[in-house]
Amino acid sequence: MDRLSRGYNVILNGMAAFAGILIFLSFLMIVVDVTMRIVGLIPPAFTISVVEYILLWFTMLAAPWLVRIKGHVFIDAVTQFLPAAVKKVIAKIVYAICTVAASIYCVHAAGLVMVAWQDSMVDVRSVDMPLWTLYLPMPVCLLFVAIEFARYLIGIDDMYSQSVDEREGV
Amino acid sequence: MEWYWALATLIGMVMLFMAMGVPVAMTFITTNIIGALIFMGDWAAWTQIVDNSTSLLTRFTLGPVPMFIMMGSLFFHTGLAIRVFDGLDVLFGRLPGRLCYLTVAGGAVFSTLTGSSMANTAMLGSLMVPEMQRRGYNRRMSMGPILGTGGLAMIIPPSALGVLLASVANIDVGSLLIAGFLPGFLLAGLYAILIFLQIRANPESAPAYAVEMPPMLERVRLVCTNILPMGLVVFMVIGFIILGWTTPTEAAAFGVLGVIILAIAFRVLTFPALRASIEATVKVGAMVFFIIMSSTVFSQLLAFSGASAGLLEWATGFGISKYWILLMMFFILITLGMFMDATSMMLITVPIFFPLAQQLGFDLIWFGLFVLMTFEMAGTTPPFGLLLYVMLGVAPKGTTLFQVASAAFPYLICDAILIMILIFFPGLALWLPSLM
Repeated sequence: MDRLSRGYNVILNGMAAFAGILIFLSFLMIVVDVTMRIVGLIPPAFTISVVEYILLWFTMLAAPWLVRIKGHVFIDAVTQFLPAAVKKVIAKIVYAICTVAASIYCVHAAGLVMVAWQDSMVDVRSVDMPLWTLYLPMPVCLLFVAIEFARYLIGIDDMYSQSVDEREGV
Repeated sequence: MEWYWALATLIGMVMLFMAMGVPVAMTFITTNIIGALIFMGDWAAWTQIVDNSTSLLTRFTLGPVPMFIMMGSLFFHTGLAIRVFDGLDVLFGRLPGRLCYLTVAGGAVFSTLTGSSMANTAMLGSLMVPEMQRRGYNRRMSMGPILGTGGLAMIIPPSALGVLLASVANIDVGSLLIAGFLPGFLLAGLYAILIFLQIRANPESAPAYAVEMPPMLERVRLVCTNILPMGLVVFMVIGFIILGWTTPTEAAAFGVLGVIILAIAFRVLTFPALRASIEATVKVGAMVFFIIMSSTVFSQLLAFSGASAGLLEWATGFGISKYWILLMMFFILITLGMFMDATSMMLITVPIFFPLAQQLGFDLIWFGLFVLMTFEMAGTTPPFGLLLYVMLGVAPKGTTLFQVASAAFPYLICDAILIMILIFFPGLALWLPSLM
């Protein structure tokens, strides 16, 4: 069980690290693309399509890690005034809602991957992309998101233990 | 279902889930799931909403968001931000309230180099508040300029929030970014005038103190080495967009490149700094993107249920001046901003407000800037404006939220004055975009 848990954590953190690598890669690709254009060379046609795909992959890969580090923004303007016992019950309801919602998205995203794969569907962009590569990160990462909320639900951790000044935003 | 019931159901669900403390991203996902079932009445609708979730995120125009965050993070983590401050510090001499002016100048310069108002406020707060306290500035004078100036990053390009707003509202990203340039600096000017008046009224609030000024040559050297090179980054982002050499996404990538070049030139680019910047990008960028993933579906549900069209018809059916409706939108945004962050507000209001603004004949770039200005004000509005809490986090122990909020109040008046100026002189915002 311990090894399973450690392996799971490695995958979770690895996905977030991969998200970081992808976004840095997209920066490099754009710079190379524009530089080639400026010096009169023909830039690769795939840059825009790949960067567009990276934006989705980046978001999905980091989503479970953000749940783990309590990085998803929430509003506690109302709940902070409630008694601790009520707050705890509401928190459990919230975790249950999130687990179910992420699971529903996960199942339907898996269906989209299957259909796109079976029908060899193509996403027409600056270069044609196999459509299943667009959907692929969704079921996998949403499954992890559902597991992360389920962890809170069974009481392994408390999502609301983060202080206000730790929150991030634009 | 009547449009008002549809609207109440969708907005009500969002409000209920948010009030319960459901993470904002999951609030929209859950609302979409339930909304699809109510208004489309078919389990297959769930596949449709998952499919549609990908459409907004896979747009090249959203690219500047993570790039601007990376650019700002690199700027802070490599220590380039401190260099800019050191350079600006020698320009203000023995002026009474010099640290307040330094904050406004530093904040305005940081705003051209970073896209995040929260990062700006945190940086200015942690850097300036202890120094101001040490020099005997009162709390109002030490926190007010930081709260006002921190929010400038929402308006002055590059603004990550501006890119998000333009993408969600489907307006030109580059035009909205550039539109904020002149009003942003005018606002910084209004802040400087306010500080001057505040110090005149109460000189003890920001006492003058002896400053050891380096010789003129040294001051020129500091400005040349610490401030002027930052112009490279500003040019690579704003200049490239105005000149039409690159798209906003490409300009944002070049902004990151500019900061990396400067960090290499100053020998401050380290692996830990790079790693911390990428981590910050993943944290903030992915969090915001996960929220807006569901925004397209939420807008579609508002349209499909008839809520958007019904509200539009209702709001324009009174025959009242469009400026009264603008005022109503302003108060709705400010009220929402008391309880939620800018991204959440954006997702709830953009699908309703932008079609309404278009119907009323407002220029959408101008209206986008108006919305950004209002977001900035909402961020410093009690009881839950996020910037107030960021400030509270870096303020000296014993500071109350009331003290922070009252320090921010005069700066909110400056914001309101700028909005009035923009209403009477829309060209201030629209002139630069017209050159593109």
